[in-house]
Amino acid sequence: MAFQILLNVFLAFIWMFLKTSYTPATFFIGYFFGLLIIFTFRRFFSTNFYLNKVLAVIKLFLIFNKELFLSNIAVLKVILRPKLNIKPGIFALPTELTEDWEITILANLITLTPGTLVVDVSPDNKILYVHAMNIDDTQEAIDSIKNSFEKAIMEVSR
Amino acid sequence: MKTNDIILQTVTKVTLFVIILFSIYLFFTGHYHPGGGFIGGLMSSGAIVLLLLAYDIKTVTAILPVDYKKMIGAGLLFSAGTGTGALIAGKPFLTHAYTYVSLPLLGKTSLHTAVLFDTGVFLVVIGVTMTIIQTIGESE
Repeated sequence: MAFQILLNVFLAFIWMFLKTSYTPATFFIGYFFGLLIIFTFRRFFSTNFYLNKVLAVIKLFLIFNKELFLSNIAVLKVILRPKLNIKPGIFALPTELTEDWEITILANLITLTPGTLVVDVSPDNKILYVHAMNIDDTQEAIDSIKNSFEKAIMEVSR
Repeated sequence: MKTNDIILQTVTKVTLFVIILFSIYLFFTGHYHPGGGFIGGLMSSGAIVLLLLAYDIKTVTAILPVDYKKMIGAGLLFSAGTGTGALIAGKPFLTHAYTYVSLPLLGKTSLHTAVLFDTGVFLVVIGVTMTIIQTIGESE
């Protein structure tokens, strides 16, 4: 992946030298053409086309923003309710992610979902202990959200 | 005896992209400077020939699963379509239109339908060259 980005920047610079125009606009045009060429020859590399990964990162960022917004609304609803009708609890969530940064991102995303909070990570990095604000109605729904998070993170690290 | 082509293959991996970029440069510079669809297409197919020299035909078709005969058809369609577009606008066949547009990144750019015609030439040249070379290469 890093090689592809490096090659793309290299091609953009070659384009600038060909055009003898050293402006950012020329760089971007050269970068665009380089991207096109690398896309055409994407099967030539042992790794995937790097724009896929960039798109996955953008997707993850959008999910992050959406969940941040929804979690604040959900907490607001609980706060404004006259009776405190919640059932807190802690459950274990087994995760398939292995890299340190993947687990960190997953934990942060879970913390930002409505009504859940990562309390601890097991020493072997296999299980996340999650505190849920409302354990009976969220258990299944939250699990499905986590699956989508885990999938989105795996798309990035694939 | 099968020789080890690692040096050729590694150099190809980098030069290939530079050659293709240069062919794109030649293609777009054709209106004001020497270059154009023919030489651009020829140089692109030259890059693919370099790929064929460094690897075998099977690897190259795996990298570029393109039917070059269809490419010829697409190129001819492009050029004929540009000509027919003039007929639809009520002008003689192959009359080209152009205009100056201020694009966000490129600045003042002249958009000319001759580029579309040249794209057709570009595709046909790549298609014909690669069809010839692959047909010769595949026959025993």
